[in-house]
Amino acid sequence: MKLLALAATLLTGALLLYGTADFPAWGDPQSPASTHVSAGYIETAVQETHTPNLVAAVLGDYRAYDTMFELVVIYCAGIGVVGVLRRVRE
Amino acid sequence: MEGLLEEIVAKYNYWIYVVLMMIGFYAMIAKRNLVKKLIGMNIFQTAIILFFVSTGVKRDAGLPIVDKDLALAGAIDVATVVNPLPHVLMLTAIVVGVSVTGIALAVIMRVYREYGTLEEDEILEKIGR
Repeated sequence: MKLLALAATLLTGALLLYGTADFPAWGDPQSPASTHVSAGYIETAVQETHTPNLVAAVLGDYRAYDTMFELVVIYCAGIGVVGVLRRVRE
Repeated sequence: MEGLLEEIVAKYNYWIYVVLMMIGFYAMIAKRNLVKKLIGMNIFQTAIILFFVSTGVKRDAGLPIVDKDLALAGAIDVATVVNPLPHVLMLTAIVVGVSVTGIALAVIMRVYREYGTLEEDEILEKIGR
């Protein structure tokens, strides 16, 4: 059983490493992740939001609804924890 | 062999995260203890988060906090600032991960209260399978 798990793990790892052959090298400024929309955010975010911290600008200005519903996720998790751990009096 | 070594040096971040992911994956599917399974899930998640953050790195680039006057003048060189988008999206992923971990810990506590053990095979024995 443990041997089967190890084989599955090694197979998954080998497939992922095979997939990295197409990935850009570490720290490449011309990598696809850094060339399309992110350049636009870096150039125009301060003009549009007046927030020098780009992470905060995207999190709080461009994706404010996303951040708000993250709070809903945490709230639901809290409700779930209370519901699971509550001892019901007989 | 020479080509493989160069490949590893150029992409060592992916290799580290794949190894980290394999550790977490093995813990999730091979360990019998529920807490160890949960720790495996967290290691797996950390590997994925680190992977996405590493895709935003640019060599010799600084923090994504820019000079306001320079930015308002439109004089920011994109290559000198790391890509902020993976960082933002991984903040979201961390929040979801913390929620899942909290719920899982609560369920594990409940299972322990119910069956007095966290070992998977002992629980299966107690519920009569």
